[in-house]
Amino acid sequence: MKKSTIYIFIAVALFVIVLIGGCQSYNNMVSQDETVSRAWADVETQYQRRADLIPNLVNTVKGYASHESETLKAVIEARSKATQITVDPTNLTPEKLAEYQEAQGAVTQALGRLIAVSESYPDLKANQQFSELQAQLEGTENRIAESRRNFNEAAQEYNVTVRSFPTNIFAGMFGFNTKGNFKAETGAEKAPTVSF
Amino acid sequence: MKGFLIYDIKRKQRKRQTKASSAIRLIAFLALFMLSTLVSMLTPISLPLSVGRASTYTPDNLPIPYLKDKSQYVSNPDGILTQMAVDSLNMWLGEMEKAHGVQTILAVVEHIEGGEPYDFCMALGRKYGVGSKEQNTGLIILLSTRDRAYYILTGRGIEGTLPDAICKRIENNQMLPALREGDWDEAMLATVRAITKYVDGDDSLVGKTDFENEVDVAAALIAVLVCLGILGLFLFLVVAYERKKAICPNCHKHTMKFVGGKVTKNRLLGICTHHDTYRCTNCHFEQLRTWDEDINGGIGGAAAGSIFGSSRRGGFSGGFGGGGSFGGSFGGGSFGGGGAGGRF
Repeated sequence: MKKSTIYIFIAVALFVIVLIGGCQSYNNMVSQDETVSRAWADVETQYQRRADLIPNLVNTVKGYASHESETLKAVIEARSKATQITVDPTNLTPEKLAEYQEAQGAVTQALGRLIAVSESYPDLKANQQFSELQAQLEGTENRIAESRRNFNEAAQEYNVTVRSFPTNIFAGMFGFNTKGNFKAETGAEKAPTVSF
Repeated sequence: MKGFLIYDIKRKQRKRQTKASSAIRLIAFLALFMLSTLVSMLTPISLPLSVGRASTYTPDNLPIPYLKDKSQYVSNPDGILTQMAVDSLNMWLGEMEKAHGVQTILAVVEHIEGGEPYDFCMALGRKYGVGSKEQNTGLIILLSTRDRAYYILTGRGIEGTLPDAICKRIENNQMLPALREGDWDEAMLATVRAITKYVDGDDSLVGKTDFENEVDVAAALIAVLVCLGILGLFLFLVVAYERKKAICPNCHKHTMKFVGGKVTKNRLLGICTHHDTYRCTNCHFEQLRTWDEDINGGIGGAAAGSIFGSSRRGGFSGGFGGGGSFGGSFGGGSFGGGGAGGRF
């Protein structure tokens, strides 16, 4: 056998190995990318759920605590700001995510203040509808936390794949970028406490 | 001298024969032993689950009786609920699982670590995967009396049947009045009663009809197969022994046939001697085989038979009749954080 044929043989073998490896890591990245997108959709659903609850809550509180119009206004404003910001799941950059998180954090804070204020209205607290709305709000906050946790897990797994060798070569070739994740909010996570 | 020799040979033969028959008895005993061990393994042993009163529970150390016995949904390690309430709750929750596939853990403890009922329930749900994987119909109800906290956590699949608002309503209207009076039994009974009403009203939740049979049939099949295996082994050994007995000492063929015999009893020695005549159908060689048996041997055999009979009955009742007492398993359902809780 001629020397050149052997070289060609080796070159073809190497090419096949790289092709198979590339296909595998590509498919792997696609499936993990899909998982992240799905987790993101869940996060958005839960935030939307909270946004949908707000008008009802505001109306209920308004009937009992008309003096708290400023607190109520703050909630409505934060909500409308937050609903304007949407993040495309294919473009989950850390900056975009931070922006989204900030807007939603403002809603969390405004709602926390509203709930804290409503504590001083015994009639409101005794209202069955308010009690149930509050439970729904709490449940939604729990769901948000859970979906954020899931999203962070998925994003982390994806990022590890994209950044580790040798997948990172293919990731660069096919344009798979790292995704941002939720940072623990300082202050915004905790509901403000009221002192009597 | 000659007579003595014959006697000696006979005795040796006799000895060998008794040895062989005692070997069979040993095998029978071993088979029995294995069978009874198997039966006792299949019969669940209900160990007392007391971990000590007033201990702090974490999702990891909370005893889950359901895993040992799938009719036990209630975890009541501190004995806060009365046995009567526990039995009723178990019955209702069992019916709910059968009819709608909703799998429940109901835990009533004195104190949970951290004192946060939501976190506790979530960790519990994540750890065991309560509810079926397809429907995600897990449900966790927690009451911590010293923390004065409660929570109803709903799996993803029953968030529609039991929305947060409904959970809260059940808690406000059914659970809270009893909790304020310190009537833990009534609080849990009323809660589960109310939940059952909502779950029954949702036709989209389907129970796994073959749920119970699946487990029972599998376990029973294994039990039957093992019993058959032991029986087969026993039969094989008997047949092998019988075949060995049929070897003709003259022409070495398996052609010795039993043609007749008589039994003489010696009550003084407590022995009955069998005098069996065997004839070879090939070379017509005739041989007298004598072997001894304890007169009490018959009674011993009867005793063994009764042991066998009773243990077999035990096996069937453990395997089939008491089928409901097999350990349950959780399906791997997931929780999204739905449900409601509060403090009293």
